[in-house]
Amino acid sequence: MACNYWDSTQRRHWQFTKDELAAMRQKLEDEEASLVQMFPLPQLRHLNIHFNQQINRLGKRLGVRQQPMATAQVYLKRFYTRVEIRRTNPYLMMATAIYLASKTEECPQHIRLVTGEARSLWPHEISAIDAGKIGECEFFLISEMNSQLIIHQPYRSLTQFQAEFNLSQEEVALSWSVINDHYMTDLPLLYPPHIIAITAILLALVLRPTNGPGGPTGTGANSANLAAAAAQLAQVQAQARAAITGGSGPGTPGGLQGMQFSSAAGEKSPDARFNKVTRFAGWLAASSIDIEAMVDCTQELISFYECHEQFNDKHTRESILRFVKARGL
Amino acid sequence: MNENEKRKYIKGRKLGEGTYANVYLGQLRTDPAVLVAIKKMKVQREQDGIAYDAVRELKFLQELHHPNIVELLSVFNSKDQNLNLVLEYLPLGDLESLIRDTDRVRYGAADIKAWMGMLTRAVWFCHDNFVLHRDIKPNNLLIAADGEVKLADFGLARSFADPGVNMTHMVITRWYRPPELLFGCRSYSGAVDVWSVGLVFAELIIRTPFLPGNSEVDQINRICQAIGTPTEDNWPGVSSLRSYAVPAEVYPVPDKKAWMDRFGGVGAEGVDLLCKTLVLDPNKRITAREMLEHRWWRTDPKPTRKEDLPRSKDDGAKKMGADLGRRPGAVEDENRGSKVARRLDFGAK
Repeated sequence: MACNYWDSTQRRHWQFTKDELAAMRQKLEDEEASLVQMFPLPQLRHLNIHFNQQINRLGKRLGVRQQPMATAQVYLKRFYTRVEIRRTNPYLMMATAIYLASKTEECPQHIRLVTGEARSLWPHEISAIDAGKIGECEFFLISEMNSQLIIHQPYRSLTQFQAEFNLSQEEVALSWSVINDHYMTDLPLLYPPHIIAITAILLALVLRPTNGPGGPTGTGANSANLAAAAAQLAQVQAQARAAITGGSGPGTPGGLQGMQFSSAAGEKSPDARFNKVTRFAGWLAASSIDIEAMVDCTQELISFYECHEQFNDKHTRESILRFVKARGL
Repeated sequence: MNENEKRKYIKGRKLGEGTYANVYLGQLRTDPAVLVAIKKMKVQREQDGIAYDAVRELKFLQELHHPNIVELLSVFNSKDQNLNLVLEYLPLGDLESLIRDTDRVRYGAADIKAWMGMLTRAVWFCHDNFVLHRDIKPNNLLIAADGEVKLADFGLARSFADPGVNMTHMVITRWYRPPELLFGCRSYSGAVDVWSVGLVFAELIIRTPFLPGNSEVDQINRICQAIGTPTEDNWPGVSSLRSYAVPAEVYPVPDKKAWMDRFGGVGAEGVDLLCKTLVLDPNKRITAREMLEHRWWRTDPKPTRKEDLPRSKDDGAKKMGADLGRRPGAVEDENRGSKVARRLDFGAK
């Protein structure tokens, strides 16, 4: 990550409200009404889960680190706010996004290597892939993104907060995996990276680390725990919000007592956690962090974990393949 | 973005042609008085997609906005799938042409101070935004119509690496390359740019490149002779750098007087600043921010107002064309290829 987020093209051009995002997508669908009708797709979040998994698979084969894979996912998201998905071959676009992200994140991969790995990973999905095609798509991708290529990721914010909140390895790992998961939602197009990072930390502190890192990632098997945590969290946030809007100014987080109690309840070692959460709550109250945005992020994540359960990889892949094959993309 | 952006500009005559890009003069369609430079990247798609240099240039110029950094106004692609970068038009050539034209261009300490001030602010701004430029040299310092100096060519730039992540040492045009890179150091900081700034400073004073090495070995020799041999005494840890090798004869670090004799034109404070930018040990070298706080800026003479700075007698537009078309990292007037510092190094990042 380079440059200043506050002056960045990300903040100025690629952060939307939910309404704006919905309007852009609606417009794309309206323009291609017949295509949309002919090729129904699962909900966007399910598509994103599929993209996330596929990008991770290709990235692992190439030995690409987490950061470029995250960047590739944001590229894909930005691209599909400008171009109707049914007009493209998403597998080709994923390969291209990884290829470009590896360049912008300073770990360039050779175009032929990317082409080769993509071909063997997706033999049915991409019929004729060669370096020239990736080159062409790279061009398309850059131009739809207005050649604005620097993505500010929450990972860096998390590393900075680690010392501030004295987070344990487990808590960092859990926050990290929440951040990994948020790439399957619209959050990267909605909120600044520090809000995401803080929300991830909040979730990690409130969730019991016994859920383990990787709990929320992947299978969604822990969604029962998550739902429980979610309920707890909703309560916490209601209190936090009341405390802050209720005029208990910085330095006197008295109204946040409730937050500490409810989240520390049922802990094995309440004292250590209690302190940590207190510290976090105090910091939040004294900061000018947008609590509303955090609440919204949390909701998004929770509803994402719920919808993760209905995800059917086979079905998603097939519905994508249907239009890819039919249109010879 | 495309059609609309493209239609905004009228492409005019070719200003220059390089190995890397062709540069054209352009006008704003709605207001033909507004001139721009259009840098059309040469395609290398068959090799490896869009050139790495072009990606770097795009990503940083999109984010960095500062009076002393060339402004990217727009990007569009033409039919033949070429990237076109629309840059602000800088008609007054570059610092190199001013330095070299000793017959017709005269300038003094106040002018040097003004140019150095603008250069230092540009470099500070890059570093403050966690960007290393990695190719600072006089012909990447272009001059706008009002005399403002603009740092251009971000084809070798990158963001500061996370600690422990290696970077390539094959950057910065050789004459301006600091000893740590010549010794193969893979983990470095803004100090590499500061060294280049110091050499531009020296060149402004003596009006000829200070350390024009004709190979990497020769470059190290010249540094040893002029600035002193890097040893464990003046630079702890230097001998363990990957390709540390110095001439058998150990040259001492010259004293103040030697510097004053050669660079005294900018006064004692100016020489002090110069010495601090050319400290061998990168950890002891001054930072761009500290440079801005140096006493030299506050001692007489005051920097010349940018409008009153001496101007090049040559065709500045042509110069801009040549500068923007050149491949990053290349020394001029040497045979090409051998001196291209930047090579795509896939392992190195």
